[in-house]
Parts: sequence; structure tokens; C-alpha cells
Amino acid sequence: MTLALVLRFAGRDWRAGELRLLFAALLLAVGAVSAVSLFVDRLQRALVVESTSFLGADRVIDSSQAIPERFRDLARAEGLRVVDVVSFPSMVFADSNSGRADGRSQLAGVKAVTPGYPLRGVLRVADEPFGASRVTSGMPELGEVWMDSRLFPALGVAVGDQVLVGHARFVVAKVIAGEPDRGGFSEFAPRLLMRAEDVPGTRVIQPASRIEYRLGLAGDDDRLAALKAAIESELAPNYRWRSIRDTGQDIARALERAESFLLLGGLLAVLLAGIAVALGANRYARRHFDHVGVLKTLGATPRDIQWGYTGVLLVIGIAGALIGLLLGALVHWAIIAALGDYLPRSLPWPGPRPLVVGLVTGFICLLAFALPPLLGLRKVSPMRVMRRDLAPSAAPFVTYGFGVVGSLGLLIWYSGDVRLTVAALVGGLVAGGCFAVVALVLLRGGRVVGMQAGSMWRLALAGLQRRHRENVAQIMIFGFAIMLLLIMVLVRTALIDEWRAQIPEGTPNHTLINVAPDEAASVQSMLESNADWAGELTPMTRGRVSAVNDVPAAQWSRRIRSQGVSEGERGPGPRLRSERPVTFLARLPDNNLVVEGEWWTETPEEPAISLTEDYAGHLGLALGDSMAFDIGGLPLVAKVTSLRRIQFESPQPYFYIIFSPGAMAGHPVTYMTSFFLPPEKKPFLNELLSAHPTVTVVEWDAIIAQVRRIVASVTQAVELVLYLVLAAGTLVLIASIQSSRDLRLKEHALLRALGGTRKLISGALVAEFTVLGAFAGVVAAAGAEITVWALNSGIFELPTRLHPWLLAAGPALGVAIVATVGYLGTRKLVFSPPITVLREV
Amino acid sequence: MPTSLLYATGLVKRVSTATGELTILDDVDVAVEQGAQLAVVGESGSGKTTLLGILAGLDLPSAGQVWLDGAEITALDEEQRARVRGRSVGFVFQSFQLIDSLTALENVMLPLELRGDGRARQGAREFLQRVGLAARTTHYPRQLSGGEQQRVAIARAFACAPKVLFADEPTGNLDTRTGARIADLLFNLNSEEATTLVLVTHDAALAARCGATLALEAGRIAGVQR
Ligand SMILES: Nc1ncnc2c1ncn2[C@@H]1O[C@H](COP(=O)(O)OP(=O)(O)OP(=O)(O)O)[C@@H](O)[C@H]1O
Ligand SMILES: [Mg+2]
Repeated sequence: MTLALVLRFAGRDWRAGELRLLFAALLLAVGAVSAVSLFVDRLQRALVVESTSFLGADRVIDSSQAIPERFRDLARAEGLRVVDVVSFPSMVFADSNSGRADGRSQLAGVKAVTPGYPLRGVLRVADEPFGASRVTSGMPELGEVWMDSRLFPALGVAVGDQVLVGHARFVVAKVIAGEPDRGGFSEFAPRLLMRAEDVPGTRVIQPASRIEYRLGLAGDDDRLAALKAAIESELAPNYRWRSIRDTGQDIARALERAESFLLLGGLLAVLLAGIAVALGANRYARRHFDHVGVLKTLGATPRDIQWGYTGVLLVIGIAGALIGLLLGALVHWAIIAALGDYLPRSLPWPGPRPLVVGLVTGFICLLAFALPPLLGLRKVSPMRVMRRDLAPSAAPFVTYGFGVVGSLGLLIWYSGDVRLTVAALVGGLVAGGCFAVVALVLLRGGRVVGMQAGSMWRLALAGLQRRHRENVAQIMIFGFAIMLLLIMVLVRTALIDEWRAQIPEGTPNHTLINVAPDEAASVQSMLESNADWAGELTPMTRGRVSAVNDVPAAQWSRRIRSQGVSEGERGPGPRLRSERPVTFLARLPDNNLVVEGEWWTETPEEPAISLTEDYAGHLGLALGDSMAFDIGGLPLVAKVTSLRRIQFESPQPYFYIIFSPGAMAGHPVTYMTSFFLPPEKKPFLNELLSAHPTVTVVEWDAIIAQVRRIVASVTQAVELVLYLVLAAGTLVLIASIQSSRDLRLKEHALLRALGGTRKLISGALVAEFTVLGAFAGVVAAAGAEITVWALNSGIFELPTRLHPWLLAAGPALGVAIVATVGYLGTRKLVFSPPITVLREV
Repeated sequence: MPTSLLYATGLVKRVSTATGELTILDDVDVAVEQGAQLAVVGESGSGKTTLLGILAGLDLPSAGQVWLDGAEITALDEEQRARVRGRSVGFVFQSFQLIDSLTALENVMLPLELRGDGRARQGAREFLQRVGLAARTTHYPRQLSGGEQQRVAIARAFACAPKVLFADEPTGNLDTRTGARIADLLFNLNSEEATTLVLVTHDAALAARCGATLALEAGRIAGVQR
């Protein structure tokens, strides 16, 4: 057979509408998969960019020592972009010479950076303290500093004034409203941003000062990996290589879950589209048995038939794949347009993978699902033209075998995740087997009951029973499709609930510290009338560890450090002897979880301490250790009675060290408290800080907004995938009903010719689809419940629970969908004269 | 090698059914010379269609041999038999067997296209004209009457100039007058094209127009008439 002839045959089949279902299924397979992969690819890139902005770079090397020049050279040689970030606390003085200021001073967290900062994320600035902020691509010039809003009232300066940092004088050029890597949650000091080149002039860096050095790196993943490999041996114990995944933030976990979900959705869309392709191809093949018989009598050889139909399939495949890709691209653009606000401003361009994924999916679908039934056509006997009973023996289950192998390959390749794939496949097979048994039993039972029912139902049930093989297959397909839909809905709901719960509306986004006891009442009343405030003041003070288990702190530190390996793994972290904020609490803070020991239920006799597990782990502390503190010159000894884990679900300040309430007695404290302030009320901070100049405000709102944005875009993506899976599921239903339509209609047309009324026949059709839908729904609800349980506990690590409403919702959904689609798909023919139906099928 | 255009000897066809083995044809010999016409007659169920299928190479006998146009088709595989069919055989069936998604013209073009004939369209048009359907070329089988459909089928059968035409009750689905016209058409084209004809029929008048008649009874030859 020549190509021209194949094309001509394909054209004629297309004209006759024989190829449309197959083509639509293929379009959907390729379209859905490429739209999902395109979108996910771009979203992932965007989310990586967005989340790496928490680091201000793709990777960072952190140290308490200066970063060796060699690291920088190697990084540049790899083609990576680098910036230096040096952070240290320093007093900042208002320059009394400038006339306006009165020589006030304030401790600031100085961050000195080199040009190029930040490598990821953006700097936000404002023209006046607490004013509206905007993104800037610039950075401080030499001799300039940018300062946090709250430094302005504290120092009594305005933009354009001068300040002193150490021995150097700087012009305050801008208000800094946000930087991507605004440091750990324990960093309270207001920010002062300056150029690294200006640091030597300040002469504040002394051998003993507490300085954090960071080298930010940005570039391709493989280049980053190459650099890491090159310097790996030199990193430990002084330098720590970090990526966003190492920061322990929940964002990273949310991202991983979202990726898994999108992947799962994509897989299900592929499977559904594959089933639709298989159904379409089966129908096409069945309708071509006669054609093949005739072609064979006209001299077509089996090879002609084989290559002819493979050719037609290839034509359809190429056209479907290309148009499907186009469709996928359009859909993904439409989604991006529709999601607009939720998405990061500029989505990076996709890599080539989504397109390849789309194309390969299309062709595997064709080869695994569509080719087998068509290849069966070559075996059709030419005697069929004379004896109609000679149906080819191409058993549909052989076809399913190809489909299973095909989908397995597709799934593994697409997901690259064997665990997810095997889970999906085993689940699918087990569910399929159970479905078949259940469907058979249900059909048998249906017959017994049906005998007593009215004639419409009897007709329907008799039909169901007579074609029980086809119907079991159909219940399985319906059930499978509905099950996949239910799974998506359930997992999606669980995921989104979980995410939404992480940062509920009204989460405190500002923290006040340094509230003196005599100011407490006034601050309280200001907060009550201006902010959304829970009304709790937390006492705090600053303390330093002097000894652990009677071993002096310096010695304990050395001992821990000398324990080689573990210290290398630990890297830089909190230091034992640093002075740090501590608090005294009766109640465990909301975002804390006790992982070892027990939280004190009532004020213990002996002073007790609770430590965060990372602090304890890093410094070699364990339950039962006794720690001696120097708090404002007064000693305090307490036993470690619990270890806590901080859940970063809402960015809140937290304490490494919490004392039991009784330990507070006699120690001078200040207070801290958190509250929610909407953006339009931010000027209130000016008022507050002017009235209480010594109070410090920590602003979390920028970080919260960033986390929200990420969660919102991931949520949108998840919903979108759900819709795509819905579309694929619907197509499967349509395909399945289409493929059973001919058989049903022929029967019903005969019945009508024999005197059955339209009402009876269409009633029987609806009854039949209703029964099928209900059975499929039961099967789907059971399957979905089991699978969701497994998925939530195994892969998404979400809380598992039962959904009893499924048992009602599944069948209801099944009946609604199947009866509607089935009725709409067959109605036209029920209402046309029986003769046309008989002629057509 | 036999000299007849179509020659079969010792044909047996057995099928296994649920109730045991069934012999449909038993020791049937057939010889048809170039340009001759053979009518196969017999009661319903006597095995006529089965015999025709085997003679035309659509089916294989359980025993016996068939030579068609110089080739022993019972010794060929399906691939080669299909080529013999394409080259030497035309068919007309009781149930017309037109492809319903193709127009009348496309149905007639089909065998020509399959053998790679570049002039398929002209050839098909010419034959449709000869069967009197020049005006219906773009119509689909569904839009044609039974008689018209059978004429399209006849045009298709003759379009590739077969050496032997096999017809299984070509008038069986038609009323008497239409049937007679179709029969006329068939015999006229047959003599114009000098085709050999093997015809299965219940119609005694039709059988009488053939040079020879072979009567089957329960799968055995009950008589041959020349
Ligand atoms: N594959 C088969 N399996 C079982 N029985 C068969 C098969 N093929 C033919 N038969 C039987 O063989 C007998 C002959 O069939 P055939 O179709 O050749 O008869 P026929 O003479 O053409 O009859 P009619 O005039 O009704 O067309 C019939 O009884 C038929 O049922
Ligand atoms: Mg017959």
C-alpha cells in the first residue's frame, strides 16, 4: 500500500466520522499531558525561583569564617554568579553633626553585600518609613546605607540624613522594606544594608566579633553540583553548603507534595486518555471487520491490511500529537492568563521536556492502546463477507494486556517515580479485579431482583444480563474513571485544607519586642485599638549559658567540637556562649511541638528548661542535663525537661530556650507580643514607635505574603490538574458509551420495530445506564477510599480518615454522569425512525 | 497441472461444532473452462456458499486441491491467495457488501487502487456508466436502492477485469424484475469481457442461462448438467 493510498483511506475514514473518537482521545491525551507538563514545568521553575529567593540565591555557603577566595574562583570558573553577604550586629548612631538628629543609637543587623545581590528574589524599598514599598533592581551606592523603617524613629533620622556605623559615616539613601533572605526567624535587629566594600572603613570587624559570611551562588543545577563536588572535601567543618531544601522550611515540603500531586494527576490523565484511546480504537476496529473482509476479497493481502491500518493510525497519531501539542500550549497559556494574579510575575520559559512528554505519550498511547485491536484486523477472514458469524477472535483482554504494559512504561517514564507508579499500578490491578467480581455479582443479583420489576426495568436488566461481558467491562471502565475522579477530589481537598491551615487569615505578621514593664499598659491599649491582637504579652530577657552539667561552657563547647564527625555534620549553628533571648512560659506556644520529654503542666518546683531539638542536638544537650545561666548578672540553674520542634507553618519568632514560669522570679524582663496589622494600617507603627522609642518592631508581613503567594499558585495548579483529569474522565465515559452504543441501539431499534414504544425504549436505556452508573459508583467509592488512604498515608503524609459520604456520593455521581452522558449519547437515535437506525448500525 | 481455468478435486470441508464434527462438503470435484459459466444449485444449507468460498480462495478446504488461473491456491498462504484474488477474481454477493462510508465511485475505485492503478478514477467512472449509474457516483450506499447497490457491486467486480467472477445469489435480495435486470447486466458484461462465471443461485431460470449446472445435496454432488 502506498502512502498516498493510506492518506486517501485515512481521509475517507475521517470523512465518515470513524476516526473522530480516536482522534479526540488522542488530542486529549497529548493535550492534557503537555498542558500539565508545560504548566508544571514552568510553575516548578517559577516556584524554585520564588523559593530560592528565601535564600537570595540558588545555593549558599555559610560560615563564621571568611569565605576562601578559592571558592569564589572555582564558582566563577563554573560560570556561576556569586555575591558576598556579610552580616554582623553593630550599633548605629545618628550623626549629631548633621544637625537634626540628637545622637541616639540603636543596635542594627548590618548586612553588607557585593554588586549582584540578591541573586534570586528582589529588594523592596520605600521612600519614607513604613510607606508603600516597591521593587527595585538597584542596591546601595558606595557610602550609602538603606535602613529598615523602624530604625528611622529609633534614631530620629529621615531619608537623606547621615548615620555612623563604627568609624564610617554614611548617607541614608532609602528605606529598605524587604529583602529575600531576611535571615532566620530569630533575627530581631532592624536591618541596615550597605556595600561590602565599605565594611573595612567602619573598622567594626574585630577578631572576636560575631560575623556570618555567606557566599551566594546562582546558575545551572549541574554547574552547582560540579562546584559542590569540587569543594566538598574542603567544606567541613567550617563551611556549610545549603539549598532551599535544607532550610527545613515547610515551603519545601509543600512544594514536594504539590509536585507529587501534579504528577499523580498527570498520570491519571494519561491513563484515562489511554483508556479512551483503547475504546476508540476498539470501536474503530469493530466497525472495520466488514471493510477488511471486502478489501480482502478485492485482493488486499494481510500485510496490506496491517500496513494500511498502521498507516492510518500513524497519520492520526502525527496529526493528533501535533494538534494536541498546540492545544496543550494553548490550554496552558489560557491557564496562565486565567491564574494571572496568583502566579509569579514572570514565568520562566519551559524546557523541552514537556513537549517530548506530550509527543511520546501520544505515540505510546497509540502503540499500546490503539494498535493491538487494529492489528487484529489482519486476521479477519475474507469469508466474513459471506458468513457474518465469523467474528475475529481478537479477545479484548489481550488488548488490555498491551495497555497494561504500555501504561506501566509510560508511568515509569513519566513519573520517574517507581514507588508512585507501582502503587498506582498495583492499586489499579487489584481494584480492576475486585471491580470485575463485584460487577458480575451485582449483575447476577440484578437479574433476580429484576424479574419482579416493571417491564422497563426488566427490559434494561435483561439487556444488562445478556451482554454481561461487555457490561462488566463497562462497569470497570466507568468505575475506574469515577474512582480516579474521586481520588483527585479527595486528595486535593486534603492537600489544600492542609496548606490553607498553615497560614490562616489574620496570622500575626508583626512582633513587638523590648516592651518595658512600665510601657506594657500603654502599648496594650494602643494595640487593642489599632491592631488585631490576641492580647498576650510574653516576658523575655537575655541570658548566656555559663555551664552545662557543671562543666564550664567554653570547655563544653570545645568538647562537643572535638567530637569530629558529628560537629562536621552540624556545621555552624547556635553558639553555646552567645547571649540570646530567653523566655518564661506556662503554656507551650502554638507552633511548637514537644518531641522528647514533657512540657510542664504546672509550675515545677525546680526551674525547668525546654530547648528546641536543633539547638540541643547541635550543642550536645539532652534531657536531664542541667544548665547554668547568667541572666543579667544573676545566676539561674535549670534542668532540661523537654525538647521542642518548631513548626514553621507561620513565621513567628521562637525561642531556643524557654524556662518554666517560676524561674522568672526576680529577673528583670521586657515583654514581646505579636499581632496582625493589615497593610493599610502600617503607619500605626510610626505612631507606636514615636510614643515608645525603645520598643522594637519585627515585620513578618513580606514573608507571609510570599508564602501565601506560593501556596496560592500551587493550589491553583492542583485545581487545574483536577479539571484536566475530569475532562479525561468524561471523555472515557463518552468513548465507552459510544462503543457500546451500536450494540444497544441495534437491539432497541429491533424492539421498536417489533412494537416497543419510544418511551419504553428510552426509559429502558436510561434504566440501563442508571444501573451501570450505580454499580460503577459503588465500585468507584470503595476503590477511591482505599487508594486515598494509601496515598495520603504513604505519599502525601496527610492525615487519613474515612469518608462515609462516599458510599452515597459515589453511586449518585455514577448515576448522574453515566445516565446523563449515556442518554445524551443515544437519545438522537432513539428518536429517529427505527429504519434509519437499522440501516446505520 | 490441470488445463481448466478453475479446477478442484476431492474437496472436503469439515467443521467442528458444539455437537461434534460436521461435514459440509464431501468429495466435490469441479472444472470450469476459460469463458464458461457454471451455476451451483441446491437446497439451503447444501454447502453452495462454502464451495464458492473455497473455489475463490477465500477459505481453505479440509482436504482436496484447487487450481485457479494456473496457481494451486490450496498450496498458497493467505498473502499469496490475496494476490491471486486481486489479479484474477471478482465477486458479487447477495448482500452487496459495499463499504458504506465510501461513495459509489470510491467503492468501484477500491480494487483498482489496491492494485496501484493510476487511472482508478476514470476506470471506475467508465464502469459505473456501463451499469447505468453515471449520475449516482457521489452517492453513498445508504442512499441507493438494493438494485442500484448491486449494480455498483457489479461495476466493482468487473472494474479490475477479473478472469473469474464469483457470484453468490446476486439476485437473492432483489424483487423478480430488478433481479432479472441485474442478471441481464451480469451476463452482458460477462460476455463482453469474456469472463468466466461461477454463480450460486436458487433461481432455475438464472441457472438455465449458464452453460453448466452443478447440483449439491448435503455437501455431495447430486448431478452435473451441461
Ligand atoms: N463455520 C461453520 N460452522 C458451522 N457450520 C457451518 C459453518 N459453515 C457452514 N456451516 C454449515 O454448513 C452448511 C452449509 O452452509 P452454506 O452456507 O454453504 O449453505 P448454502 O448452500 O449456501 O445455503 P443457503 O442457500 O441457505 O445460502 C449449513 O448447514 C451451515 O450451517
Ligand atoms: Mg449460501
